[in-house]
Amino acid sequence: MSLTVQVAGKSDLGCIRTNNEDNFGYDTRYGVFVVCDGMGGQAAGEVASKMGVDIILEYFRKAGGETGKYPVEGEPLEGVSERANALASSIRMANRSIFEAASKDAGHAGRGSTVVAAMGQGSFLSIAHVGDSRIYLIRKDSIQQLTNDHSLVMEQVRRGLITQEEAEKSTMQNIIIRALGSEETVEADVDDMMAQPGDILLLASDGLTKHVKDSGLLKLVKGAPTLSQACEALIQAARDDGGDDNITCVLVRVLEQPWYRRWFGKGSPQWQNSI
Amino acid sequence: MAKLYLKFEQAVLKEVTLAQGMVTVGRLPDNLIQVDNPAVSGHHAKIYWEVDHYSVEDNNSLNGTYVNNQKVSKATLKDGDSILIGKHNITFKDEWHEDQPEQRVPTQVMPAVPQMDATVVLDTKKARELMAQARALKEGGAPPAAAPTGAGPTASGTMPAATPAPPAPPAPPPKERTGMLTVIEGKTDEPRYLLSGKLTVIGKSAMASIKLKGSLFRQPPDVAAIVSKREGKYFVASQDKKANLKLNGADLDRQQELQEGDTIEVFGVKMAFEYHD
Repeated sequence: MSLTVQVAGKSDLGCIRTNNEDNFGYDTRYGVFVVCDGMGGQAAGEVASKMGVDIILEYFRKAGGETGKYPVEGEPLEGVSERANALASSIRMANRSIFEAASKDAGHAGRGSTVVAAMGQGSFLSIAHVGDSRIYLIRKDSIQQLTNDHSLVMEQVRRGLITQEEAEKSTMQNIIIRALGSEETVEADVDDMMAQPGDILLLASDGLTKHVKDSGLLKLVKGAPTLSQACEALIQAARDDGGDDNITCVLVRVLEQPWYRRWFGKGSPQWQNSI
Repeated sequence: MAKLYLKFEQAVLKEVTLAQGMVTVGRLPDNLIQVDNPAVSGHHAKIYWEVDHYSVEDNNSLNGTYVNNQKVSKATLKDGDSILIGKHNITFKDEWHEDQPEQRVPTQVMPAVPQMDATVVLDTKKARELMAQARALKEGGAPPAAAPTGAGPTASGTMPAATPAPPAPPAPPPKERTGMLTVIEGKTDEPRYLLSGKLTVIGKSAMASIKLKGSLFRQPPDVAAIVSKREGKYFVASQDKKANLKLNGADLDRQQELQEGDTIEVFGVKMAFEYHD
């Protein structure tokens, strides 16, 4: 069995913001997908999120194309695959570059970005994240959040200090406790899993997920005839709910690839650099 | 600089310096000004900067918000206004225009929320402090930051002084046990496998950590089954019908948590699951 993917991504200013600090990119040749949500005034957020996407894509293009090896940055994590470690390394690399660039530039203090990234090889799938952007898995008729937000309120929920309802009402929802580029080093949470044909991965910035609940995400993705229409529907739903932040989503559908497509042309490879 | 003074009767309980962000008032601990009184709603009201002035806005609270004894849903604040929330009073002082020398009263500067709703990141130290505060509140104590610094030693002298925001120990990670699969029958590359990874693949694939061996006529699937580790628990799931996955002798077509003593069978290989200390 050979698996292939379809992908669509879209980013929107939302209804209030005048600049887009979100960014995304992917390269299906290397099976890598990234969404970043930047923060920090004076265009610093835009710079940080763009750097995040570019550096991570570049990491996999180099490793997959020229050397065939994933360079290790920092301490390898135990108990996870080489693929997951590659994601963690690429994120540490992006962190270092953003941090170094920010420390040279006094005006850019407070610059940082979240990141969610996924990488697939055959039916093996690894994910990694830092911050409060999320990855969801839509399998058959269910949706599951695969990432735990690195936000102050969700950390408090996990430690049993406040309830989920209190978290949803909290005024501190905008505070995240891990970000790319805000400190010298960063540890991403990584996970390994198996993909099944028909699975859909959703990578999204909080501009989507704070306005559309899990059940809404599932309904909109399932209800749209194509992935790009699903992206549009998701963004529209977040805008209809107020859209007070930039909204970004990337949808990846895993498909079984018929043998004749594998043998006679795969169609054009798809990739999208940062926007 | 504008300040808020939380008062009960005549006693000033708390003094807050307003930054150009949002200050929330309510009973729950996530409010910047927490008023622990049943007459106060969980998220009762908020006070924030709007273009060129501060406003107070009621969050549909049960008992309402009053400014100078007038019930308001939203009102512009001016120097000396008195905001009544439950039985507590918040006095708004706009000292921006006063040329008096700065008074050195210990004030609590709110964690800066630079722009409304703009995402900010806390550095690790600050995050730990806020977590420690939330924990202290949860445990019913006063928030550590409210403890007067440099206060005289307590009479008993045995209590360590409550310094603001003691470095919170990292949450003690629940002791995670590692699972193990021991081969009872069938052909594999090892007699037993420690399940230390988040995902253990059983199959013929190069990625498989439990390698199944086939015969000339019958090759195992690349990925026959997987064992995934989630929060210290192990789950087994079939990935290929040909793998013929069985748990304790019964066919398994969905993901199932593994219990100590379970046996699983994949492609003719039988293994027992247990925790390894």
